[in-house]
Amino acid sequence: MLETAPDTRLLNPVDYAVISQSLQAIAREMGVKLIRSSYSTIVREAQDASAALLDREGNVVAQAELVPLQLCSMSDIFRACARVFPPDTLKEGDFYINSDPYSGGQHLPDVFIYSPIFFDGALIGFAGTVAHHIDLGGGNPGMTPDAVDVHAEGIIFPPSVYNFDRDWSGGPLERFVAANIRVPHQTIGDFYAQFAANAVGVERVRQLARKYGADRLDAAMRELMDYSERRFRAAITDLPDGVYEGEDALDDDGIDDTPLTIKARVEVTGDRISVDYSGTCDQVSCYLNCPWASTVSATLCVAKSVLTDPDIPFNEGMKRPVEITAPTGTIVNPNYPVPVRARTLVAYRCFNAIMKAFARAVPERVVAGGNDTSHSLCFSKLQDGRYKVYHEIYGGGFGAAADHDGCDGIDSILSNCTNAPIETIDADFEHVRILEYGLLTDTGGAGRQRGGVGLYRKFEILQDDVNFASYSDRMRLEPYALDGGREGTLARIELERDGEIIPVSSKQMQVLKKGDVIALYSCGGGGYGDPRDRAPDAVAEDLRNGLISPDAAQRIYGVAAE
Amino acid sequence: MRVGVEVGGTFTDLVAVGPDGVTITKVASTPRAPDEGALNALEESGVPFDAIAELAHGSTIATNAVLERKGFRTAFIATAGFGDVLELQRHGRERIYDLRYEKPRPVVERADTFEVAERVLADGSVARPLDTEAVHAALVPALRDGGYSAAAICLLNAYVNPAHELELAAIIREALPEMFVATSSSIAREFREYERASTTTISAYVQPVIDSYIERFTTSLAARGFRGNFSVMQSNGGRAVAEAIRETAVTALLSGPAAGVIGASRQAATSGFANLLTLDIGGTSTDVCAVIDGKPQLAEEYAVDRLPIRVPVIDINTIGAGGGSIVWVDDGRMLRVGPQSAGADPGPACYGRGGTAPTLTDAHVIRRTVRAEAFLGGRMAIDVDASHRVFQDIADRFDMTLEQAADSAVRLANANVVRAIQLISTERGLDPRDFVLLPYGGGGPLHAAAVAEELGIATVVVPPSAGVISAYGLIASDFVQYSSLTRHAPVDDGAAAMLRGVLAEMRAEADDRLAKQGMKGPFTYELIAAMRFVGQAFEVSVSFDPAELATMSADGVRRRFGEEHERVFFFGGDADKPIEFVSFRLGAILPLAERPVLKETHDQRLQRTTVDLYQDGRWCRGTLMSRADLPQDAPLPGPALLEDPTSTLLLPAGWQAVRDDNDNTILTRQDANA
Repeated sequence: MLETAPDTRLLNPVDYAVISQSLQAIAREMGVKLIRSSYSTIVREAQDASAALLDREGNVVAQAELVPLQLCSMSDIFRACARVFPPDTLKEGDFYINSDPYSGGQHLPDVFIYSPIFFDGALIGFAGTVAHHIDLGGGNPGMTPDAVDVHAEGIIFPPSVYNFDRDWSGGPLERFVAANIRVPHQTIGDFYAQFAANAVGVERVRQLARKYGADRLDAAMRELMDYSERRFRAAITDLPDGVYEGEDALDDDGIDDTPLTIKARVEVTGDRISVDYSGTCDQVSCYLNCPWASTVSATLCVAKSVLTDPDIPFNEGMKRPVEITAPTGTIVNPNYPVPVRARTLVAYRCFNAIMKAFARAVPERVVAGGNDTSHSLCFSKLQDGRYKVYHEIYGGGFGAAADHDGCDGIDSILSNCTNAPIETIDADFEHVRILEYGLLTDTGGAGRQRGGVGLYRKFEILQDDVNFASYSDRMRLEPYALDGGREGTLARIELERDGEIIPVSSKQMQVLKKGDVIALYSCGGGGYGDPRDRAPDAVAEDLRNGLISPDAAQRIYGVAAE
Repeated sequence: MRVGVEVGGTFTDLVAVGPDGVTITKVASTPRAPDEGALNALEESGVPFDAIAELAHGSTIATNAVLERKGFRTAFIATAGFGDVLELQRHGRERIYDLRYEKPRPVVERADTFEVAERVLADGSVARPLDTEAVHAALVPALRDGGYSAAAICLLNAYVNPAHELELAAIIREALPEMFVATSSSIAREFREYERASTTTISAYVQPVIDSYIERFTTSLAARGFRGNFSVMQSNGGRAVAEAIRETAVTALLSGPAAGVIGASRQAATSGFANLLTLDIGGTSTDVCAVIDGKPQLAEEYAVDRLPIRVPVIDINTIGAGGGSIVWVDDGRMLRVGPQSAGADPGPACYGRGGTAPTLTDAHVIRRTVRAEAFLGGRMAIDVDASHRVFQDIADRFDMTLEQAADSAVRLANANVVRAIQLISTERGLDPRDFVLLPYGGGGPLHAAAVAEELGIATVVVPPSAGVISAYGLIASDFVQYSSLTRHAPVDDGAAAMLRGVLAEMRAEADDRLAKQGMKGPFTYELIAAMRFVGQAFEVSVSFDPAELATMSADGVRRRFGEEHERVFFFGGDADKPIEFVSFRLGAILPLAERPVLKETHDQRLQRTTVDLYQDGRWCRGTLMSRADLPQDAPLPGPALLEDPTSTLLLPAGWQAVRDDNDNTILTRQDANA
C-alpha cells in the first residue's frame, strides 16, 4: 500500500529530495555566515544566534542547527509582523523586525529579522535570522536585574516593517537604534551580519527557484513540512495513549525564598499531543517571566528531542500535532508589562516538567535533570565614555539516560552557545581576566549511568567599579535523578573579597572592585539507575580521570581505589 | 625512475614513471603493517629498487592512529587552571536536539593532563613566571614515571610569546631526551587555545607512530637496494622529506585525498586546465576540492574524528557517498542515499558476499552503466540478479520499475555530490560554471557528466588511469612547508610595508629550517594574511604573491581584503571600516624541475561494440570501448561507456568525448559546439 504521497504531478521523489536537502543547506549556510561576519563576543564566539527559511506564509521550512530556544519560535514571531503589515504589501528590500515579548517575541535582546524573497515579481518565501544583541539599552549594560517592567529592559522593536536602503544602511532606524544602545559599534555590526545572512538566503532560494520553478519549489517546501509532520506523528503514535504529568520548580524569584513551580499535563491521543500548563505559578514582578514564544519553543524542543530521531528536520510540520495551552498571567504566559530578561530559566523548568511527564510514558527515552540552566554572567565597565560588556553563559552536566552517561561540562539543551576562547577574553577586555576554567569532580549524579559533571570558572576583576549582573538557578533545588540514581549537584556563585568568601545570590546585580574574584560552579546532571549497578570499568575510568574521587568510588559505587 | 606508492584502506596503488613509460600496480593493502603492502606493490611492479631515484609515499597510518587511538602514550601540559581545555572544548553541540550527545574524544585522557604554574597575557607580558622548580621537582618525575613517549605543551597566549613553552620544552628534553616534545607555538602559532591544544596533542600523539613507521620502511627499502630520495605526502598537498615529517607529523594526516587532488590537477594542467573542481568518488566517500590557477584551495583548519586540527590543508569536502552507499527510504518516505555504506565487506549486493542492502553500485548494475565484466578488470564475479532483488522493495514503494528506482538513486547520489561541490564553490563565492570538472577514483567518471550538467559546467576532463591518480599525485607534487605567525596589527598606511617585513622575517626563518633539512632552493613563497574588520572574530584569508607585494600600496592591501570579504560574505567590498591583520602563513615551495606525465595504459583493450543502458528514464543504445582507443580527432557522441582498467566513464546522451595528446578524455556538451 502506498502512503500519502507528495503531489507527484509537480514533484518526483528525486526533485523533492534534492530541493529539500538544498533548503536545509541554505539555512545552514545562512547560520555560518551570520556567525562568521558578526562582531560581538556573544554572537561571534558564543553563537547565540539562529537562521531559518520560511515559506511565503511564514512557516519555517528549514533551519540552521543553532539555538533551539530561538528556532522553535521563528514562525510565531513572523506572524506577529504579518498581521500588522500583510506580506502582500512588501516590496524588494523591505524587512520585518520584531523583538516584542508581548507581540510574539522572546526577550528583548533576541531581535528577529525577516527578508522577503521575491522571484519574478512574486513573493516565494522569507529568509529569517535572530541574534542575541549584547546590549539594547535598558537600565543596565547587558541585563537589568532590577527592572520593574519590560520597558526598563531596553528598547522594543514592535512587529514592524522597514526598508533596508531607506531606513537602515545609515538611515533613520539605524541612527535611532545606535543612539539608544551602549556598544553601537558591535551591535550595529551584528545587525549587518543578520542582514547579510538574510541576503545569502534570499539569493540561494532565488537560485533554486530559477532551477526548479517557483511552483515546484513551493510544492517541495510544503512536502518537507508534511514529511516532518508524518515522521513526528509516527513517533507520537508509538507512545502509549494517556495523561502524564510532571512538575519542576525554579529556586526562587530572587526576592523571597518561595520556589516557582511549573506544572505540565501532557495528553497523548493517537498521533497528537496536548500540553497544558494549568497550575503553574503566577507571573512574578522580576525578570523571570517567560514570554509565550519561549514557552512554546521549550515545549517543542522536549517533544522533538525525546520522541524523534535527531535526523528529522525541525520545521512547521512538527508543530502541527502539538497543542500547547497555558492560563494567561502565569509565569509561562505573562501579561504586559512584567520584565522577561531571564526567561530562559523558566523555559528550562518547562522542559524539565514535560521531561518528567514523558518519563512516566517512555522512561527509556528521557534523561534525568541536568544543569538545565543558563548561568548568565555579565561584567561591564564604563571607561573613557565607552562601555565594555563581557557576557557569556555557562552550561554544566547533562542528565543521564537509561543507556548513556550525561555529557560533561557543556551548554544545556535549549541553548547551544560556545565559549569564548580565554585568549579572546584576554585580548578584548581589560576589566576582567579568567583565572581558572575546568570540570568539577564528584558533581555528576551517581547512577548506573552517571550524570555529566559540572564546570567552574573563576573571574578576576582587574579594575574598580565593574558592574556585575547575573542570573542563575538550581542553587537550592538539585537536578533530579531517575530510577534510583543520585541527584546532580547544586550550582553556586561566590565572591572572594579580601580573603573572605561571600555567596552571591542567583538573581542579582552589584558593583565589584579590583582584586575581587567571582567563582561560578555549575550543576552536575542527575544519575539514572542504582550506582551499585554501574559497570566497574566505567567507575575505574571516571576515577582515573578524576571525574569521581576515590572516596566516591568506594562509598557510592562500591569500587575500591587501587 | 620516480615511483609513488599510495596506501589506501583496501588497495595499495603504485605508479612508476620512467624513460620507458608508465607502470601501474594495484595490490591488496595490509592494514596491520601498511609498509608490507607498499613493499609488495614495489616488488610486483617489477621496478628494480636500485633504479628508483625518487620514492614518494602516502599512507593512512597517521590518520588511523588517531581514528583507532593507536598513538603512543602522550602527556598534555597546560597553564595552571586550564588543564581541562581539551575536555571543555568549545561548550557547544553539533546536534542540538540530541539528549545523548557525546563530545569528540581527545587523544589524551584527562588523567594524562598536567598543569604548570605560569601565565602570559595577550600582549605577551608575563603575569606569572614559569615555576621551573616545580617543573623539575614534580612534572619531570611524573612524565618519567608515567611511561609517556610524547608530551604536548600548550600554554595560554603562547602564540604571542612562546618563551615559557620553549623553556619548558627545553627542560623536559634535557631531562628526558627520549621523549618527543611538541610545543603549540611551533606546531600552530595561532590564537584560540582549544584548537591549538588539539592540534598540538594530535601532533605529539602520532609523531612516534610516524617516526617508527618511516624508520622501519626506510630500513626495509635500504635492505632491498633502494638508495634514492624518500619523501612523504602531507595534507597540504606538498611533499616533505622524511626528516621534516618527523618534526610536524600532524601534516601527514589525510594525505591520501590531498595526493589525489594534486595528481588530478597536475595531469589536467598538462592540457592547460587550471580552474578545476575535483571529484573523487570511491567506495564509501566522495571528496571534492576547488583548484584555482592550478592551486588547490587551502583551508586553515580541518577535523579528524571531530577533533580540530589547525594546519593548512587542502580544502577537501568529504561526504558519505560512494559505490557502497546504501539506498533507503526513511520513515517519512523520503528516498535517501547514504551516508551508511555497505563498505568493502559485505559490500554491494552484487558482490555476492552476503550484502542485502541496495547500494549505489547495484543501481549502476541495474542501469547497466557499469558492466558486470568491468569490476576489477573482470577479475570479480558479479551477481546481477542480486542487484535486482534488493532494489525491488524500493521500486514497489514508489510504484516504479526497477530501472526507474535505480535511476532515481543515482540521480539522488548526484544531487548529494552537487551539494558537496556547492559547499566549496558557491558558498565560497566561486561560480562552478567558471570551472571544469575533474573526476577520478573508481566512481568519479561514472557520475561526472550528470554532476556537471546540474552545476552548469560545460567541460569534464577525465585523467588517464583515473583509479590510481593519488599514487601519481605523490610523484607529481612539489615540496611544501608552511609556517604560521600571529601578530595583531591595524591595516594602516604602513600595511604594505608591514607585510613586506613579515614576509622577510618568515622567509628567513623558513630558509633556515629548510637548509637544516638538507633542502636546496630556489624556493617560491606565498604569504597568506588572515584579516578581518576590527571587531570580527573570524578572519578572511588573503593571499599575497611576493612579486606583487613588492610594489603594492596600503590601498591595494585594503582593496584585496575587501574583494575577498565581499566574495565570501556578500558585503564589505566598499565598507569604510577599520581592518586588521591577525595572523600570517608562509608557504615555502620547492617546485619540481620536471613533472612526470601520466598515460593511459594499454592493458585489457576492449573490442568496440554497442551496449544497452538506462538513463534519464529510458533504455538507450550506446557505444562501449576502451578510453585508450578513443579517437583524438572526431568526437564520440554519447551515450557511451568508456572504460580503462581502473574505472568506467559514463558519457551520457547530449555529451561527446575526445582524447587529447596527454591522454586526458575531454567531455563537452554537444550543443556547445552546435
